[in-house]
Amino acid sequence: MKALTANRLIDGDVVFWKAGTWVERFADADLFDDAEAAEAAEGKAKSQPTVVIDPYLIDLMESDGLWAPLSYRERIRALGPTNHPAHGKQAEGGEVIEALLSADGAARSSGRVNLIKRK
Amino acid sequence: MYQYDAVDQDFVADRAREFREQVARRLSGELSEDQFKTLRLMNGLYLQLHAYMLRIAIPYGSLNSRQMRRLAHIGRTYDRGYGHFTTRQNLQFHWIKLRDAPDILDQLAEVNMHAIQTSGNCIRNVTSDPYAGATAEELDDPRVWSEAIRQWSSLHPEFSFLPRKFKIAITAAPKDRTAAKVHDIGLMIRRGRDGQLGFEVIVGGGLGRTPYVGPTISEFLPANRLFSYLEAILRVYNRHGRRDNIYKARIKILVAALGAEEFARQVAEEWAKIGPEGDLPDTELARIRGAFAAAAFDPLPARSEVFEAAKAADPALARFARNNLRPHKKPGYAIVEVSLKTIGETPGDATSDQMDVIADLAERYGQDDIRVTHEQNLVLPHVRLDDVPEVFAQLQAAGLASANVNLISDIIACPGLDYCALANARAIPVAQQIAQTFADPDRAEAIGELKIKISGCINACGHHHVGHIGILGVDKKGEEFYQLTLGGSGAEDAAVGKMLGPALPYDKVAGAIDTLVEVYLRERREGERFLDTYRRTGVEPFKEAVYADAH
Repeated sequence: MKALTANRLIDGDVVFWKAGTWVERFADADLFDDAEAAEAAEGKAKSQPTVVIDPYLIDLMESDGLWAPLSYRERIRALGPTNHPAHGKQAEGGEVIEALLSADGAARSSGRVNLIKRK
Repeated sequence: MYQYDAVDQDFVADRAREFREQVARRLSGELSEDQFKTLRLMNGLYLQLHAYMLRIAIPYGSLNSRQMRRLAHIGRTYDRGYGHFTTRQNLQFHWIKLRDAPDILDQLAEVNMHAIQTSGNCIRNVTSDPYAGATAEELDDPRVWSEAIRQWSSLHPEFSFLPRKFKIAITAAPKDRTAAKVHDIGLMIRRGRDGQLGFEVIVGGGLGRTPYVGPTISEFLPANRLFSYLEAILRVYNRHGRRDNIYKARIKILVAALGAEEFARQVAEEWAKIGPEGDLPDTELARIRGAFAAAAFDPLPARSEVFEAAKAADPALARFARNNLRPHKKPGYAIVEVSLKTIGETPGDATSDQMDVIADLAERYGQDDIRVTHEQNLVLPHVRLDDVPEVFAQLQAAGLASANVNLISDIIACPGLDYCALANARAIPVAQQIAQTFADPDRAEAIGELKIKISGCINACGHHHVGHIGILGVDKKGEEFYQLTLGGSGAEDAAVGKMLGPALPYDKVAGAIDTLVEVYLRERREGERFLDTYRRTGVEPFKEAVYADAH
């Protein structure tokens, strides 16, 4: 399973792809179990350079019966900094946030590695 | 302190206007991200994990109350009510929006501040002694030379696109509070046998992937020849630095490859070509020196009865005095260090409200002078001893009175994976856990000077190589692990730490530090700091204890 993420140009905020547009909460993101659909969305996202910066696909894993980013880095992006629980998206709470917080294990973000390789 | 003249002010204001136009062109799509990225980085604006980060230059770590209040205001208005002081004596805001950045630069320009050359392959903000102008140890005021270098290096056309970034540190005291020996150039002011001022010039120090303590290439450079010599060094570097490989592009790699002697020979050859025409005219130096004329100090007795009585009545003040006060060059005054390492808080962070308190204290009790240290603390360099009890009380009320400067909980930590796009592991929570482990102030004082420095990746913004105990976050098979090094120092006895052994998982780090400290307390001899004991015993007793515990 994958999701598509980027940082929004105008404010740098972490955003996720949802049906051709961008949402701020991972809980609202489109989840792709079909690689072709994911790549097609990534292609469309890249044609929005005045909206977002460097869109890339991230791998997801199951956590508490929900989906969470596989990589620890991506979970921090989706949540906020661990030293300020009131900052970032984690402040909102909710079951998806809880699932992200309890997700275990860390891995490099595969999407980000691809991004680095491309540069 | 140095005040901008009309030319400086116009320039900085123009630069802010230019950036406003560039942002508009980016948002309209006229500029691509690749084109814009270079421009925003030239104004200190990075994109990090959660938002943009703006790194604001605090020249040689020196600012006044008006500037500090402006930083507080920016934090409150455009960030989340706080800022992060860095190991380069700068300030970073971590939650900046691109749309607000032009307004922020305008606001900075109004108080003689900017974010120019806080990124990119240019000469960065000069690091200097936070006690400059206040300590009796110094041979000259290093701010004079720092400011002259700032002016010389700002938008220097020849040195705006170096092979890699370039950092200069200047100290005028034997006690090095700038980490001069691990900078691209470290300048240590010396006095020659004939009484003349000069510089010991150290080149090619650095941290990061390939740490070096820099070698000295000139034992005594006459002070009036500084600028032609700096130009010669940078010219040799600009010509031969490795532009083909970012990991080998810093001057330290060139100096190590050529050898210090050959590098010095090439510099001397270039220096002869430049000649004294490349030096700063005496009149210009005198103009700059005038900006740092000694503040008016009242004639006071060396001993303050008010201060002594307050200390006797309040053990907390007495502890603060032991750890956070330093001798001032004038009788009846003290240098006050304000720790930004409150137990459990993020190292180097100050809230906007705290910044306002510091500004008020500086204005009322400290000759309107504030310094940032490379160890992520603040300094009020000129406080009357009579006023210390009141300053302490106000710091206490603001949560800024931690009496732990140079102690084990005075930890340097980079933002790490909580914020930084380059990091592999978190640094801040590791620092918080260690600080909490040593929260007992009596125990911390009994341990004495112990410098822990933590970086979340090999780029070493947290200076881990030169920590008495250094901690480097690494990504090991997808998990956060931490490599410990021992025996480093960023001071006058500079050394790169040696690796203790295999990296430890996140939840074992604070316990391992506790074990290292127990070994030190067991092994230490009278008067030895942790570093001294380590240097005497070597790594073995420490290694044995940590890995016996780990298994």
